[in-house]
Amino acid sequence: MKNKGIIIFLIVLAVVIIAVIAGDYLSGRPDKSAPNPFAYDVNDFKNVPEELIHFTESKNFKLGFEQATSITIDSDKLYVTGDKKLQVIDLSGKLLSEINLPDEPKTVEVYNDKIYVSVNNQILVYDPNGSLLNEWRNSDENSMITAISALENNVFVADAGRRKVIRYSLQGEKLTEFDGKADEGVVHGFIIPSPYFDLDINADGDLWVVNPGLHALENYTEDGNLREHWNNTTMQTEGFSGCCNPAHFTFLPDGRFVTSEKGLVRIKTYKPSGEFEGVVAAPSKFKDEGEAPDIATDSQGNIYALDFDKKMIRVFEPK
Amino acid sequence: MALEYFDVAVLLVVLSLASWLVVKKRSRQSILWLSVFTLIYFGFYRNGCICSIGAIQNVTLSFASPAYTISLTALLFFVLPLGFTLFFGRTFCAAACPLGAIQDVVIIKPISLPKWLNKTLGLIPYLYLSLAVLFAATGTDFIICRYDPFVGIFRMDAKFHMVVLGVSFLLMGMFVARPYCRFLCPYGVLLSWMSRFSKWHMTITPSKCIQCKLCANSCPFDAIDYPTNEKEVLKSGLGPKKFLTYALVIPLWIAAGVFVGNRSHTFLSKANPDVFLAELLISKPEIKNDKDNIDVQTFLSSGKTLETLVSEAEIIRHKFYYGSMMAGGFMGLVIGLTLLNTVVFRKRQDYEPNRSNCLSCTRCMDFCPVEK
Repeated sequence: MKNKGIIIFLIVLAVVIIAVIAGDYLSGRPDKSAPNPFAYDVNDFKNVPEELIHFTESKNFKLGFEQATSITIDSDKLYVTGDKKLQVIDLSGKLLSEINLPDEPKTVEVYNDKIYVSVNNQILVYDPNGSLLNEWRNSDENSMITAISALENNVFVADAGRRKVIRYSLQGEKLTEFDGKADEGVVHGFIIPSPYFDLDINADGDLWVVNPGLHALENYTEDGNLREHWNNTTMQTEGFSGCCNPAHFTFLPDGRFVTSEKGLVRIKTYKPSGEFEGVVAAPSKFKDEGEAPDIATDSQGNIYALDFDKKMIRVFEPK
Repeated sequence: MALEYFDVAVLLVVLSLASWLVVKKRSRQSILWLSVFTLIYFGFYRNGCICSIGAIQNVTLSFASPAYTISLTALLFFVLPLGFTLFFGRTFCAAACPLGAIQDVVIIKPISLPKWLNKTLGLIPYLYLSLAVLFAATGTDFIICRYDPFVGIFRMDAKFHMVVLGVSFLLMGMFVARPYCRFLCPYGVLLSWMSRFSKWHMTITPSKCIQCKLCANSCPFDAIDYPTNEKEVLKSGLGPKKFLTYALVIPLWIAAGVFVGNRSHTFLSKANPDVFLAELLISKPEIKNDKDNIDVQTFLSSGKTLETLVSEAEIIRHKFYYGSMMAGGFMGLVIGLTLLNTVVFRKRQDYEPNRSNCLSCTRCMDFCPVEK
């Protein structure tokens, strides 16, 4: 037959054309539709390349709390709150002392041998022996105190309920408060969709506040003037996602940020400039959709994560 | 919007130029370059949209749905080539259609198809036109656009299977010249009707044919009619008796087509998403719990009740009932007339382009030794 090869080729092409058209026609029906391409699926983001993980979990301590609430470190001692207690633990996990509290605490800060604990949105000040030194009354029923940090003559309190940072004197006198809005509208103000609103002071004495709705960390003067900020919104490992992240943060001794996120639970480090550095603990380390661990760091650069779901303190050392 | 009117202006210029180049200038070279321009402008630059072929559906929907208003540009894209064809033959196919142009540049070794195969495959565009009109009129789908094999190549964003489709057509086009134009294009059906009556259709020879036969095999589209051999015609038994038989059978073909359309309307109506979804929700109510099924979840979140969906689906199916029978009847008529055409004897003394199938590419002119 003349042109036999061409004819066979043409028949094959005709079959391909019919198959493609028929296949396309029959696919995409509601009973054969592909999985929802817009489905909220974060599974892919749970996988973190090994080379990005710069810390390793070295040990962990079981807690004596039914419901732990916060952690901080001062002079290489862990201060952990939960139930109606505050426990002081050394870095090996040995319980040093315990202070009973009148109700369930929310957050703790230790500065210059004074322990500041938020209980029922009041701030209680204790000495290291557990003696109550002062009680700062707060009558605003909308308040929800989520973080405390002190420096020199100031105690800064993050109030998620009122979306403000309040500056107190060491004696408990309210000095000023600010909401993160700049005059020129450059900064939106604190966007806090859920009660996660953290602040901390680094080794240089700079006050940093999370603006969780903007996935931002913002540096303010003590009077509430914005000095600088950085943010990183992305589903990828190097940034933050969801309604309100990072949920918690703290500083390493050299000024690097350590952040803890909810939703896609993970702990990461950022350079002082805000540039992503690496991962401390990947999502696989935590319970799916668990709570964001509260975090603290010691003088050696180890990171202590208060895992609310596993009810333990988990220690991560640099690799 | 301004660019769309500019497109219409470009189409008008290209059609005018193509008609002049085909009918007056008789220049294959110029037609080739003009079609390359069309390929670049209407194809790759304007992404193959809007095109006259797809405009069939816009025109249909504008008649079928009072809620749809066709744009003036779409209407002009539909009407202008038909108007030019009525006067100058299918000069639109020659140089103003990007789908034709992309196929024309890949013709390498065209083979001649047997007449029976040409005739049989030539029915497909009528079927495609019927379905395209039916689906557009019922608001089901714009299948001409959906299965345009080249638009994804123009836009360079085609899904893999559409790339396969486009490449398959181009590979096929290396040996079967312009397969989409000849055996699929629904607009080609309308153009062929217009072209039959074209006033100044191109001719192979500029003056008197000298019967040199040099052009006989020059057409890659098998669109040259040879001079009739009366002895062979007599031997084949063609005559009034056969003509009458074939003519009388046409109503039967139409009736058969209507019957097939009637029987197939349920199947065809399932192409409509609302009809399919209504049937699916009735036959598989558990699919409501499938959170990954975006179509079902979209319907459930719309707040529409199943009863409303079913009543809408019934209206659409009713349209398919009549539409399918009309489409079937049309196909029956086409088959009947095609068969009748095979027993019609037309006396022809010269080699002539078949007005219906000739794409006015002017290749044959280069083979004609006759000077003006």
